[in-house]
Amino acid sequence: MNNETLKFVIVGHVDHGKSTLIGRLLYDTGSLPEEKIEEIKEICESLGKDIEFGYVMDHLEEERDQGITIDTAQTFFKTEKRDYVIIDAPGHVEFIKNMISGASQAEAAVLIVDAQEGVKEQTKRHAYILSMLGLSQVIVVINKMDIIKYDKNRFEIVKKDLLDFLSNINIQPSYVIPISAKNGDFIANKTASMEWYLGCTLLEALDTFETKESAVAKPTRFVVQDVYSLDKRIVVGSVVSGILRKGDRIKVLPSGEETNIKSIEEFLKDVTEAEAGKSTGIVTEDKLFIDRGNVIIKDNDMPVITTKIKANIFWMDKIPFNKGEVLNFRCATQEISCSIEKIFRVINSSTLEIIAEDGVEIKNREVANVLIKTDRPVIVENFNKIEELGRFVLGREDTVAGGIITELMP
Amino acid sequence: MIIVLAIDALEYNLVIEFNCNNLKQKFYGKTNITEFSEPRTMVLWSSFMSGRNMENEIISKGDKEMWNTQINLGDTFFKSFKNPKIIDLPGFNYYKEQHKMERIMLKKYFDTQNETEKKEIKIEYNNHAFEHHRKVKREFIEALNGPYDFVLGYFSIADVIGHLNFGNRTMMKMIYRDLDEIASGIKGNFIVLSDHGMEKVGIFGDHSNYGFWSTGFKDLDNPKITDFADIIKEIKEGRTWKKNMEQ
Repeated sequence: MNNETLKFVIVGHVDHGKSTLIGRLLYDTGSLPEEKIEEIKEICESLGKDIEFGYVMDHLEEERDQGITIDTAQTFFKTEKRDYVIIDAPGHVEFIKNMISGASQAEAAVLIVDAQEGVKEQTKRHAYILSMLGLSQVIVVINKMDIIKYDKNRFEIVKKDLLDFLSNINIQPSYVIPISAKNGDFIANKTASMEWYLGCTLLEALDTFETKESAVAKPTRFVVQDVYSLDKRIVVGSVVSGILRKGDRIKVLPSGEETNIKSIEEFLKDVTEAEAGKSTGIVTEDKLFIDRGNVIIKDNDMPVITTKIKANIFWMDKIPFNKGEVLNFRCATQEISCSIEKIFRVINSSTLEIIAEDGVEIKNREVANVLIKTDRPVIVENFNKIEELGRFVLGREDTVAGGIITELMP
Repeated sequence: MIIVLAIDALEYNLVIEFNCNNLKQKFYGKTNITEFSEPRTMVLWSSFMSGRNMENEIISKGDKEMWNTQINLGDTFFKSFKNPKIIDLPGFNYYKEQHKMERIMLKKYFDTQNETEKKEIKIEYNNHAFEHHRKVKREFIEALNGPYDFVLGYFSIADVIGHLNFGNRTMMKMIYRDLDEIASGIKGNFIVLSDHGMEKVGIFGDHSNYGFWSTGFKDLDNPKITDFADIIKEIKEGRTWKKNMEQ
């Protein structure tokens, strides 16, 4: 068994069966207390019904309300391959804010659509969020197949409708699976209900997804926080990805000057390397000009040095942004003035309605797709490659927005 | 056919919270029962069907005898219908043995200090209530297709189960959803009415001092439970339907 955990989110129209699917996933993977399931089953039977898995979620919410469950936003289950966390998205606002700020990162998404109702406006809006947040590991489940009597033709129609829309927003789902969360068809188990469907179950599909690549395995990035001149000149900062070792050939950006690491410095410790996640100090062989905000790399895989950034930002200040205003751009330890040159699209994060195309204003809790122009070149990455250099905040005196870089423009 | 879905202890806040759109209908709100000293089931339903406050009369019968109240058809607004069907309504024709048993079990539950015994009583009590609910539900659905000009189905499940389980949100939600499903099966206009609501007392529930009403045709504002006799008579005579259809 692998120790890795895959975090994913389930999105879709509110009535298309999200709660039932979560309940079913937890039930089929044996992740629920038997006693509670029995209770829910008994009440359903008392009411003359089959068990409804949506109530499982109610039970979990109830436990959360009572403070029984420690984690308030996450639901867990496991397969033979690995552990899973379903990130609860109580509302779009929280979900987008958490994704952008890095509070909780989904690595994959399941988009749920009702087979009878088909693609609704809300389905499209949710799909758009996935696209906006750069989520590329997507599974589409077409739910409530039992209601349409497992009709293949209807499935194909809904599938085509959805795929047509998704291709417009650059989402290519890895799987489109017909399911019945209510009856448990093709969630954890293949059933005889749809002999025409030869694909995998939802759990099998999830198992094929990749977790976020370990930051250590990524190209090395060391963001410089400060330079101390003591008995030796120590460059301090954080290794946000990769690994630095004594003797490594490094390049300082943006100057491009190169040197070797003479030593790795850690207080009261004798070390020769520092890996992702570590705050550390290095001493270089040559005395180069290094300053806060510089990024040290050691591979040929270069970040982008640019003044133009395409990004999605989440505005979280009561005072709106008006085009023309100068803001602070902060990414890792880089801090620089910037302006927003173009507001391509503004979206209400709660209703997901498009408020403006080619807008001039961004208000509290709105999400905007923008082009940022920085006063001097900054060293950045696509959010999906190296998060720490792909995530930034914008500020006046205080932080007013968070953002993720979706496209690099050298 | 005029239909009343009479639900004991249907709580306004839970109808909203659980998104029971069929119970909620287009117009909904709380009833005003402040004229009564306490929200007592027998008093409230008796006052509903007679169209007048019957609190003193009912209470004067004493705690035990109160439950045997049986108002004559001639003293209720039901008499204005040719062929009314009233199912299990307290104060009129409710299944005495069923509800008596509920009260006995409830007393036994609170009297015993033995936790195992409490648990057993609760299971028995809940099963007893659910069994009755299924029976009333069947009867109500049948009546909707029957030769009646007025159907009133009284559902006690939210009250009976609520008394011992109101703190169990999942259980209450399941019951509210079932009641909502019953409402969804009613074709045409109907009134949903509760005598009082319910509030949480630890894991238990106690009566709250307002009821719930809803209609698909008229905003009744904050009606008294005694107003419904006239409201329903108006509907029968076609005044309310017509007026609202014209609007």
